[in-house]
Amino acid sequence: MLRDHFLSLLAYSVLVALFFAVLYHREPRAMVRSAAKTLGWMVLGSLLFAFLMFWTGP
Amino acid sequence: MRPTFPRWKAYALALPTLLLPGLSHLCLGRRGRAAAFFLIVSATYAAGLHLSGALFPFDAPNWLYRLGAVGQSGLGLLYVGGRALGLGKLGPEAVTDVMFGYGSTFLVTAGLMNMLLMMDAFDIAVGRKE
Repeated sequence: MLRDHFLSLLAYSVLVALFFAVLYHREPRAMVRSAAKTLGWMVLGSLLFAFLMFWTGP
Repeated sequence: MRPTFPRWKAYALALPTLLLPGLSHLCLGRRGRAAAFFLIVSATYAAGLHLSGALFPFDAPNWLYRLGAVGQSGLGLLYVGGRALGLGKLGPEAVTDVMFGYGSTFLVTAGLMNMLLMMDAFDIAVGRKE
């Protein structure tokens, strides 16, 4: 169950990161760097938010 | 720098994306980008349907679902076609699925991505962007 949630989050982050990398960058190197940065922040931010909900939940 | 199109033509060039994601970019000669956008938006749409997401109707009982319908309508033909084919039906069995929230988010995101693609195509057509 938890694995499914994480995989969905990961797939979502990958797709969004790729989309914005292709939308805003022309050079492949810049695209890869942008995608990696967005992906990293999205996964990290989502996990932090999930832990925050877990700790502050009932 | 490519030649810029008159404004009415730029609006017309933004519309093909509603038929197929990335089609406007293909019309503007951006083949690589068009292929990438087609793959990304289609994958997001397919993942949304696979994860039991709903293609929200505009007359949904919940205002949040109606707002979702506005976002998803950016998919154009994929939204209309999907609903016509009965894909992503909003019903009690869909809403109670654990992955419903994720799937619907994927579908709304795909619609918003497509709207951004239309704006991007317009910017390219008027010469605001390379």
